[in-house]
Amino acid sequence: MSPSLIACASLVLMLALIWAGMHVAVVLAVVSFLGVWLIKGDPGIAASLLAQASSDAIASHIFGVVPLFVLTGFLVAMADIGKDAFEVANQLLRRLRGGLGIATVASNAVFAAITGVSIASAAVFTRVAVPEMRRYGYNPKFAVGVVAGSSVLGMLIPPSLLMILYGFLSNQSVGDLFTAGIVPGLLLALAYCVGIVVMAFVWPRSVYANGVPLPMDDAALMPLGTLVRKIIPSVLMIVMVLGGLYAGYFTATEAGAVGAALALVIALLRRKLNLRTLWSVLTETGHVTVSVSFLIICATIYTRMLAMSGMPQFLVESMAQAGLGATAFLMIYVLIVIALGMVVDSSSILLIVLPLMLPLAEGFGMNLIWFGVVTVVAVEIGLLTPPFGLSVYVIKSTLQDESVSLGDIFRGTAPFTLMMMAVLLLLIFFPSISLVLLK
Amino acid sequence: MESTDTNPSGAIAPAAPAAPRDAYNQPLPGGFHRVVQALNALGTLWIVALMVLINTDVLGRNLFNAPVRGVTELVSLSIVGIVFLQLADTLHSGRITRADVLLQGLQRTRPVLAALLHAVFHLVGALLMATILWAAWPTLWESIQMREYVGAIGDFTAPVWPVRVVMLVGLAATLLTFVLLALADLRRAAALRANRLARSAT
Repeated sequence: MSPSLIACASLVLMLALIWAGMHVAVVLAVVSFLGVWLIKGDPGIAASLLAQASSDAIASHIFGVVPLFVLTGFLVAMADIGKDAFEVANQLLRRLRGGLGIATVASNAVFAAITGVSIASAAVFTRVAVPEMRRYGYNPKFAVGVVAGSSVLGMLIPPSLLMILYGFLSNQSVGDLFTAGIVPGLLLALAYCVGIVVMAFVWPRSVYANGVPLPMDDAALMPLGTLVRKIIPSVLMIVMVLGGLYAGYFTATEAGAVGAALALVIALLRRKLNLRTLWSVLTETGHVTVSVSFLIICATIYTRMLAMSGMPQFLVESMAQAGLGATAFLMIYVLIVIALGMVVDSSSILLIVLPLMLPLAEGFGMNLIWFGVVTVVAVEIGLLTPPFGLSVYVIKSTLQDESVSLGDIFRGTAPFTLMMMAVLLLLIFFPSISLVLLK
Repeated sequence: MESTDTNPSGAIAPAAPAAPRDAYNQPLPGGFHRVVQALNALGTLWIVALMVLINTDVLGRNLFNAPVRGVTELVSLSIVGIVFLQLADTLHSGRITRADVLLQGLQRTRPVLAALLHAVFHLVGALLMATILWAAWPTLWESIQMREYVGAIGDFTAPVWPVRVVMLVGLAATLLTFVLLALADLRRAAALRANRLARSAT
C-alpha cells in the first residue's frame, strides 16, 4: 500500500470511529499510530512518536493561555459582569423595536472582549437576557435564538481560544489573529442588530409573542451613577487585558493571567464567590483545559503521520489536476467544516481538519490569517446547527424549562445562522474585511 | 473549545439517573476515584500557582523593573504537569470529548450493545495509554542521567525529570481509569442482559 493510500484509509477509519463515539483524541492517536506503523513498518517508531508528542506537544509558554483564559471566562460569568453589561445596554436601547434583542447582542459583544469561550457567554445570557425578554412579551424562540446566535461572538472578538488554537496549528501570530477578528466580529454583531430590527418591523410575530411590543416600564430606570458603576468592571477588564496586550506590556499568556486575577478580585469584592464555588470553577477550568490539551497532543501525532504520508501534497496535486481553483477549494472546505460541526465540537474540528487543509491553503497562496478568520466563523456556525449545536445544548441545560424544546431553540437560532452564513460569504469574498487592521 | 468547549453529555444534566447510562462519575473499585480526585486537586492548585507566578512577573517587570526569572520555562513545564495530573479525573467525569450520535441511538434500541461498545472504546483507550507509557518510560531515565534542564545556565535552570515523573504517574492513573471504566461497562452490560432475560421469562 502506498503512504497516500494508507493516509486515505486512516481518514475514513477516523471519521467512522469518531461517529461511533470513541473519544476523539483517542481516535486521532490510535489511527495515527497504526498509520505510522504501516508507513514505516515499525511499531517502535510509532510508539516513540506517541511518547514524544505527549511530552513535547503542549510544552510551550503559549499553552499556559488555555487554562488562564478559560478561568477568566468562568470567573467573569460568576462575577455578574455580563449581567451588568446587559442591564446597561437594555436601559440605553429600550425605546428601539426589538431593543432587548439588540441589547443582548451588544452586551455579548462587550462580554466577548473579556472572555475567550463561547459557552460562558451562552450560559450567562440564558440566565440574564432570556427571562427579561420573556417578561416583556418577546417570543421565547426568538429570545433563545438571540442568545445562541450572539454567543458565537465570544470566539470571534478577541481574546478567543479558537484563534489561539488556530495560531498554534498554523504558526501564525496570535496577536495578528486577534486583530483580524475585531472587524468581522463587529460586522457580525451589526448584522444581527440590523436583522433583529428588520424582523421586528417586517415579521413582528417572529420577535414578539403577540406580534406587538409591550410598553416598557420607565419607573424602574437606573440613575446615571448606577449605570456608570455597572459598566466600570467591563471597561476595566477590556482596557487591562486587551489594552495591555496591544500596548505590548505583556504576551497573550500573561494577558490571560492578568485577566484571571482581575476577574477573581472583582468576583471576591462583589461577594459572588465562596471557597466552594471557587473550587468548582477551578475544577471545571481544569477539565476544559485537559480535554483541549489532550486533543492537541493527539492531533500532533496525526499531523506528523499526515506529513510522513505525503497526503497533503497528493491532495494539492490532484486538486490542481481536477482544475479546482482557490474559491472552489474554500467552498468545499467550509462545507466540510460545517458538516463536521454537526458531529463534534469546535476544537476537535480545528484539530481534525487543519493539519490536512493548511498545506492546501498555503499551496493556493492564501493569507493564513484571513483563512483563520474564515475557519473560526465556519466552525462557529457548526455550534448552532443540529444535531450537535453545542451552544444550543448549553442554553437548553441552563434554561431548565420544559416548554422550550431543543427543536424550538434550533428554530429560533435559524435566522441568526443564516445571517452568519451571509457574513461568512462576505468574509470569503472580501478578505480585506479581516485584514484591514493589519499592516 | 469552545472548545474550548465541553462535551454536551457533561452539559446536559441526566434526568433522574435511575440506571446509569455510562460508567462516568461513579465510584471506582478500591476507592481509586479518590486517588484520581487527589491528583486533580494537585493540578488545580498548580493552575492557581501559575496564575500567581505570571502576575508576579508582570507586576514586577512593569512596575518595579524586577522580572521573575524563568517564568517562561516554568509555564511551559507546568502546563504538561497540569494536564497529566488532571487527565484521569477529566476522563472519569466523562469530559473527554466524544460524539454521542450513535451511542445515544443505541442506548434506546440496544442498550446492551451500547454498554459493550463503551467497554471496547475504554479498552482501546487503555491500550493507547499502555503504549505511550511503555515508550515514554526510558525517556525518564535519559532525562535523569543527562541532567536535562530548561532555561539558560547562569540565569535560570530547572530540571525536567520531575515533570516526566508527573507525566508517567498521570498516564498510569489514566490507564487504570480506562480499565476500571471498561469493567464497569461490562458489568452494566451483564446486568442489562440479565434484566432483559428475566423480563422475557415472565
